Amino acid sequence: MTQTDTLAPAIAERSFDPISKVGDEQAFRQEIRDWLAAVLPADWRQQWQKVREADLKGVMNWWLNERRKVGLATPHWPKEWGGPGLPFSYQIIVYEEFARGDAPELETFTISLFHTPATLFEHGTQDQKDRYLGGITHGTDVWCQGFSEPGAGSDLASLRTSAVRDGDDYVVNGQKIWSSASMHADYCLLLARTDPNGKRKHDGISYFIMDMKSPGVTVRPIRQITGESEFAEVFMDDVRIPAKNLIGAEGNGWNIAQSTLSTERGLLIFSATERIARAFELDGIEAKNTWMRDVGLRREYAGFYAEMQAVRLMVKRLLAELEANPDKASAKLPTFIKLNWGPLLQRYGEFLVRAEGIEAQKWEPAIPGTGHSSRMRFNDFLKSYGWTIAGGSNEIMRNIVSERILNLPRG
Amino acid sequence: MSDEFDLDALAESFLEFLEGEWPKEKAIAYERSGQAYDAGLWAATAGLGWPALTAPEANGGLGLGTAAAAYLHAALGAAAAPAPLLGTLLATTIFGAAGAEGGHELLAAIAEGSLRVAVAEPGSAAVETDGKTVSGTVRNLLDAPGAGLFLLRASHAGRPGWLAIDTDAAGVSVARRALADTTRSLGDVTLDNVAIGEGRLIRPADPAALDDLLTRRACVALAADSLGGGEAVLRITIDYMKVREQFGRLIGSFQALKHRVADHHAALVGARELVLNAAALPDDAPDALLAALSTEAHVTALTADIARDCIQLHGGVGFTAEFSPHLYLKRAKLNEALYGTRIAILDRVADMLEAA
Repeated sequence: MTQTDTLAPAIAERSFDPISKVGDEQAFRQEIRDWLAAVLPADWRQQWQKVREADLKGVMNWWLNERRKVGLATPHWPKEWGGPGLPFSYQIIVYEEFARGDAPELETFTISLFHTPATLFEHGTQDQKDRYLGGITHGTDVWCQGFSEPGAGSDLASLRTSAVRDGDDYVVNGQKIWSSASMHADYCLLLARTDPNGKRKHDGISYFIMDMKSPGVTVRPIRQITGESEFAEVFMDDVRIPAKNLIGAEGNGWNIAQSTLSTERGLLIFSATERIARAFELDGIEAKNTWMRDVGLRREYAGFYAEMQAVRLMVKRLLAELEANPDKASAKLPTFIKLNWGPLLQRYGEFLVRAEGIEAQKWEPAIPGTGHSSRMRFNDFLKSYGWTIAGGSNEIMRNIVSERILNLPRG
Repeated sequence: MSDEFDLDALAESFLEFLEGEWPKEKAIAYERSGQAYDAGLWAATAGLGWPALTAPEANGGLGLGTAAAAYLHAALGAAAAPAPLLGTLLATTIFGAAGAEGGHELLAAIAEGSLRVAVAEPGSAAVETDGKTVSGTVRNLLDAPGAGLFLLRASHAGRPGWLAIDTDAAGVSVARRALADTTRSLGDVTLDNVAIGEGRLIRPADPAALDDLLTRRACVALAADSLGGGEAVLRITIDYMKVREQFGRLIGSFQALKHRVADHHAALVGARELVLNAAALPDDAPDALLAALSTEAHVTALTADIARDCIQLHGGVGFTAEFSPHLYLKRAKLNEALYGTRIAILDRVADMLEAA
């Protein structure tokens, strides 16, 4: 018996088919709610906390498979590639209901579900799509992203990992860092420099699919300030990548990377903000007899409400723009969202640690699948740095806003 | 009604007109005028029908709602305009609750722009009346010195209501109280055996509901005013950072300064969403009051903080009355103090969140 067997909830009394309800938003919503209530054990958080890294893949695969049974493994994918082909407004409902129903977040599959399709749908060859997308829609392939390097963080374009053509292969040497879930990954979306003599540093970067089982790939998990290891360093020592694994044209990697990253500016951020908004509501209600009785803390809590709403409204506007025109959503709005959201999460996380006193100081193991709302105060507080540092530090975001949007002179 | 109007075009027209009619130089010069409001600016806005915005169409008004009013207040805030439209537009809410009892000729006067109204806040003390005459004092009434009509909270036969008092009626006097914000005015009103005219005692069917509606609309208006002010003072400051040189460089190139304005800008983008959302909700939406209160508390404080920093970002000239940031700081701080302090509003927001 594997550990995941213990996760099976009471036998569902009926089968569920949300996809058949498309056309009736309320029925679709209700079907997802009913399904979640039937299939998700009420104590999944406690169970997953016990499992942790020992069987992380097991629990993640279990949940992916449960979603697959009702057609929601890849809710935002088109039919052509094995998704349900939902209209955008229904994709939004799916993620809204996942947040509302506290469904686990498939953290290990974030790149598989979002970044890989965002890249391959647009830039992959037919062969690449056929070969790799099925491993996500029908299998449990874990993908990771090999973008950042020790010397190329916020300044990603200065990356130095090299890929040198040798016959039908490229030979890759270098080091990647902050690669989420790479210790579990089957494949990597890799950026490497094929031409060190490009005019600008953005030139000469190429985009590859790297098999993580290739000889020469070494993965070393990084222990974070939360005590967990969600990402790792990836070392590449004469790794041979077949030339057919090049995505797009050689030297066009920088542009393609923008497609990969654009996926973070839609349903992913929506899912994140809705989950926190739900947790925020619960925080106040659950503290009814504790810190909500302190007039100062109560006011502080109330003050966060408008800030949470502001971010949710910005995200909703972004989704409305994406729905109206998937290719031409505002590039500014995601920057503004990040600048508001990261610091807000950090201040709110700090607030909860302070409000809950000594209880918040007690250490507990993290819970996989709970993202930024594990509701373990210190853990969530520390994790909030993910929003102020990752994906372009907020200091870089402030440069972008002041120089590109407000047209202030460069320093 | 409101959906027949293109609100964006309306907003654009408000901004455009005030940019021409009330440019920065005028706003700066006005500060020393000692006026309760600017008569020329008022006449111009009346000519455009702005005071008629929320008055019913039956009374010669435009019959528009909270969203249209929010755009107007945002434009007034952006220009730091001394045009007392807050009370004048809110007055229609009180007359609206009066039913057939009266106010028609007053609404017509508001709509034609000949009547400025000072409205007491829902939380303020009520004056006792027997229904025929009234005596008492109402302190800190916004825009009272320039008003033609007061709408005051009254208590009649143990029931709360509102009194409409002509400011030139016998027994009415106003002691003006100077404000740090010279774009608005404040007064203490004394009523000495003032006769109450026919239909001038307004007895709403549900006084508490009227208080909530007034609070909601006033909070949206104040938040919009602050939003407009915040956006304007930041724009003015960024423009200054693009021309002011020190150490042979434009100060806008210094990261220590540009990061601050980037944060302010991002926060105002969020604030704009809050104001638009709060303004667009129907009066009977369950979260209309929560959205208005929380938005007011957040946006008025945000703009006060941005305006505070904009003086600092201007350096020495920011401390002079010749530059405009101080006008925005003062207006923002007054907005923060109106319709309940931040503390009082947050307590209400917390109550609502707990009850949710």
